[in-house]
Amino acid sequence: MTRRDMLWLLASGARAQQSTGMASRGLGPQPRGKPSGLPFHARFTDIAAKAGLREPVIYGPERRVDYVLESMGCGVAFFDYDNDGWLDVFILSGTRREGPVAGATNRLYRNNRDGTFTDVTQEAGLTRQDWACGVTIGDYNNDGFEDIFISQWGQNVLYRNNGDGTFTDVTREAGLLHEGRRWGTGCTWVDYNRDGLLDLFVAHYLVFGFQSVPATGQNPNCNFRGVPVYCGPLSLQPERCLLYRNNGDGTFTNVTQSAGIDRAAPTFGLTAMAADYLGTGWPDIYVASDSMPSLLFRNQRDGSFTEQGLELGLALNEDGTEQAGMGLGLGDFDTDGALDLLKTHFSGDTAGLYRNAHRGGFEDVTLRSGLGVETRYVGWGAGIQDFDNDGLPDLFWATGGVYPEVEKSHPDYQYKTPRVLFRNLGNGRFEELTSVAGPAIAEGHSSRGVAFGDFDNDGDMDILIMNVNEPPSLLRNDVSGSAHWLKVRLFGTKSNRSAIGTTVIATYGGRRQAQAVTAQSSYLSVNDRRLHYGLGAAQSADLEIWWPSGLRESVKGVSADRLVTICEGAGVTKVESFEAPRQRQ
Amino acid sequence: MRAALAACIVLLLETHGPAAQQLASKDVAAHVGKAVRLMEEHAFSEAAAEFERALAIDPNNDEVRIQYATCLFAQERDGEARKQFEIERQRLGDRPGLNYYLGRLDLRASDFTAAIKKLAPLEPDRALSDVSLYLGAAYMSIGQQARALECLERAARNDPHNPEVHYRLGRVYSLAGRTDDADREYKLYRECQEIQRVANQDGHECRHALRTQPIAQARIVCQRIADPNDSYRLILLGELYSQNGAFSDAIEPLRQAVKLDPESFEAWHSLGLSLFSLKRYQEALPPLEKAASLNPQFFKTLTLLASTLHALGDDDAALPVLERAHKLNPDDAQVTARLAQLQGTLQGKR
Repeated sequence: MTRRDMLWLLASGARAQQSTGMASRGLGPQPRGKPSGLPFHARFTDIAAKAGLREPVIYGPERRVDYVLESMGCGVAFFDYDNDGWLDVFILSGTRREGPVAGATNRLYRNNRDGTFTDVTQEAGLTRQDWACGVTIGDYNNDGFEDIFISQWGQNVLYRNNGDGTFTDVTREAGLLHEGRRWGTGCTWVDYNRDGLLDLFVAHYLVFGFQSVPATGQNPNCNFRGVPVYCGPLSLQPERCLLYRNNGDGTFTNVTQSAGIDRAAPTFGLTAMAADYLGTGWPDIYVASDSMPSLLFRNQRDGSFTEQGLELGLALNEDGTEQAGMGLGLGDFDTDGALDLLKTHFSGDTAGLYRNAHRGGFEDVTLRSGLGVETRYVGWGAGIQDFDNDGLPDLFWATGGVYPEVEKSHPDYQYKTPRVLFRNLGNGRFEELTSVAGPAIAEGHSSRGVAFGDFDNDGDMDILIMNVNEPPSLLRNDVSGSAHWLKVRLFGTKSNRSAIGTTVIATYGGRRQAQAVTAQSSYLSVNDRRLHYGLGAAQSADLEIWWPSGLRESVKGVSADRLVTICEGAGVTKVESFEAPRQRQ
Repeated sequence: MRAALAACIVLLLETHGPAAQQLASKDVAAHVGKAVRLMEEHAFSEAAAEFERALAIDPNNDEVRIQYATCLFAQERDGEARKQFEIERQRLGDRPGLNYYLGRLDLRASDFTAAIKKLAPLEPDRALSDVSLYLGAAYMSIGQQARALECLERAARNDPHNPEVHYRLGRVYSLAGRTDDADREYKLYRECQEIQRVANQDGHECRHALRTQPIAQARIVCQRIADPNDSYRLILLGELYSQNGAFSDAIEPLRQAVKLDPESFEAWHSLGLSLFSLKRYQEALPPLEKAASLNPQFFKTLTLLASTLHALGDDDAALPVLERAHKLNPDDAQVTARLAQLQGTLQGKR
C-alpha cells in the first residue's frame, strides 16, 4: 500500500472497518511456471501415531479462539536427552482458559531406536501444563547433558538435566524468576561473550492478560472478512527482549540493560535464533517480529549488542515494509559458504528468503527465487534443509490458520492447511512440490512448531510438527536414489559443550555449504544438533569448523554416509556408519 | 492503489484525449459508472464484474477495457490484467500507459529483464513519476546495482517522502559498501516512516475531533496535519475538513495541494466540492472542470459540475454534463429528476 493509499483510507475512514491486527501485504500468488520435471527423491509419511506420538497438544479452544494467546501454539524439539545417540522428542503444551485439561502436559518421548517412542514425561519429572511457547535446548552447565529452557505466558522454566533420565526445575535457584506474568516466546541459548558458558536470550510477544485484552467480539475493529476475531498484535502493546548472562555457577544475571538489548524498541517478538550471521566469529541474535520490523542484535564483541536489522537488510521485505515474522530457518541455500535466512509470515504474503550478501548484509531474494507462488497460508515453523540429499538445501514450512471460527462462514478460508515444500533447483530458484514428496505434505493441520532431525538415524532429515489441538505429526523421510550424505556432531571444550554457535562449512562437489548449530529456530523449536549435509554424488567432503571460542579447525576428506563426531581442538574423535533402519512402520 | 488509478487516468487520456469521454451506450455507461463508484469504495471484485458486463455489451470499447484491466491490476489478478492490457496493446499499439502496467506486471512476475525493457523508456514521462522506483527495483533484482542506484536516486528526487525509495536506496548503498550514504538513507527512511505514522495518528485524531468537538477546537488538532510542502498531507487535511462539513477550512490546504500536485483528481474534486458547498459557484467551476477532465467517469464530480453550471445560469453547458452523469448512474433518482427538469427548462426556453 502506498503512502497515498494510506492517507486516503484514513480520510475515508475505511481502514478502521476491518483489521486482523497483523501485517500482510494481501498478495495473491504469482503464477507457477512449468514444472521442472526433475525427480525428487525424498518422500514423507506421517508415522506419528504408529510411532507412539498419539497425545493431542492442547492449545486453547478447538472451534473458536477468543484471545491471541490461544492461537499462537508452541514449539517442539528433537534432542538426545540421554546421550544414547538417538533423537528423543520434546513437545510443549498449552492449556485452556477455563482450567486444566486432563492429560495435557509438555511431553518427553524417549526414542526406542526402532521407529517408536515411549512417553517418559512423568519419570523424567517434566509433567507441566501451562501456556508454554518456546523451547531452547543446551548444556548450560557443561556437564555433558542437554538442559531445557521453556518460555511461556506466565513464568519461564529452566530444567536441569540430572543425567539419569530425570530433570529438575531450577528456575528459582538459577535466578530466572521474573516479576509478573510476561509472555516469553523466542528463547535461545547463546554464548554471546564467548566465555564458554551458554547465556540466555528471551523475546516476548506482547503484554497480555485475559482481563486486559479484549476478547473476540469486544472490539468491532478486530474482524476477518467481516467475522469478529480476536485482536491481533497491532492493537496491543509490544514488549522488550531480555538477556541473561551465565555466571558459571548455575545462576544467571539479567544483563539486558548493560548489553544494550533494551535500547531496541519494544517488538512483537517470536522466534529467536542466534548464529554468527556475518562471519565475525561472534554470535548475533535475530528475532522474527510479528507485524513490526524484525530485529538483528549485532554483537559488538564487548558484551553489548546494537540492533541493526534495518542496516543489514533483515528487518523488512524488499519494499521496505514490515511483515508478520513467525518462524525462522537458517541455512545456505545458494551454497556459497554463508548463512542465509528464511522467515515465515501471515497469509496473503510470501515467506521471506534473505541471501547473505556478505559485507552488504542480506538481500531479500524472495520473489526472484520463485517463492511468490505461495501466499495462501499462515506460515510457522520453517527450515532450510536438504531433504533429498542432492547437495542443495530445500525449504519447508508448516502452516495453519488462526481463526477456526471463520471457516464456517467462509468455506474458502481453511483453518487446517497443508505443509509447504520448495525444492532447490540450484540456480537460485525454487519449485514448490505439492504431491511428489509424499502424502504427508498435502495433509491439512493447523500447525505451529517444527523441528528437523534424523530420528531414525537413516541418513536423511525427518520432520516433527506441532498441530494445534491434535497429536503431533512425525514426517518420516525416506530418500531413494544414490545421493550421499554426511552428519557432523560437535562437542565444544573451550566453547560451550553443546557447540551452540558453531558454524561448519562443508566443501563437496564444487559447493561450499555453511550450517550452524542453533539452540532455537523454525518456530520456537529446536532442531537436531547434528548438522546434516546432503552431498549429491560427492563421496567425501572437507570441513571447516568455526568454533564459538574463535578456534578454526579443518578436516579434509571426510567420507560420506557417516556421522562424524568432532571435539574442539581434537579433530574427528568418532566415525559411525548407521545401520540399515531396523524396522519400517 | 491511488497511484495506480492515477496512472490509469494518464493511460485513458493518452488513449482517447480528454475530450473523448462518450461511452458507447447508456448501458455501458451505467455499468462503468457503477464500477467506478465501487472502486472508490475499494469493492474491486464487484467493480470488475461491472466492467465485465460493460465489455459484454461493447467488447471494442478500449476505455472500458483499460479501466477493467486497471481494476484487475489493483486486485493483483495479474494474469487476467495482463491479458486485458495485451488486448489493448494489440489494438492500440505501444503506449506509455500500457507499457507502464505491463512493465509492473513483469516486475511482479519476477521477469526483471522484460520489466526494464518496458519501463526504461518511460522514465522521462513526468506523469509516471514512480517509474524510477520500479525500474530501480528491477535493476536491483538482476544485480545491476549501478543502474539501480541511478534510478533510485531519481526516484528519491521525484518522491522524497516515500519510505520505500529510501529503504531501497539504502540497500543499494549498503551492497556497494557506501556505508555513510546507506546510513543517511536509512535515517530518511525512518523519518518518512515516522512522518507517516504521525500523519496517520494526526489524521485519526483530526477526524475524531471534527466529529466530536466544536470546529475551533478541532481546527487546533487538525492543523497538525498541515505541511505546505507535502501534497498528500494537504489533501488529507482538506478531505477531512470537507467530509466533515468544514468547507471553508478545507479550501486553503486544497488550494496549496493542487499547486504542488496539479494532477491530483482528489484535490481538485474536494476543492470544487468545498467551494460549491459554500455557494462560491464561480470559483468552484475551474476545479470541478479540472477534476472532470482528470476522471471523466466519476459520477459525483459530474453532478457537482452540472449543478455549478446550472447555478451560474449556464444550463446549456450543464445539460450534457448531467446527461453523462445520468448515463453513469441511471438509478439515481435525484439526477434523473434534475435531468428531466433541466431538459424541460431548456425546451421551454427554445
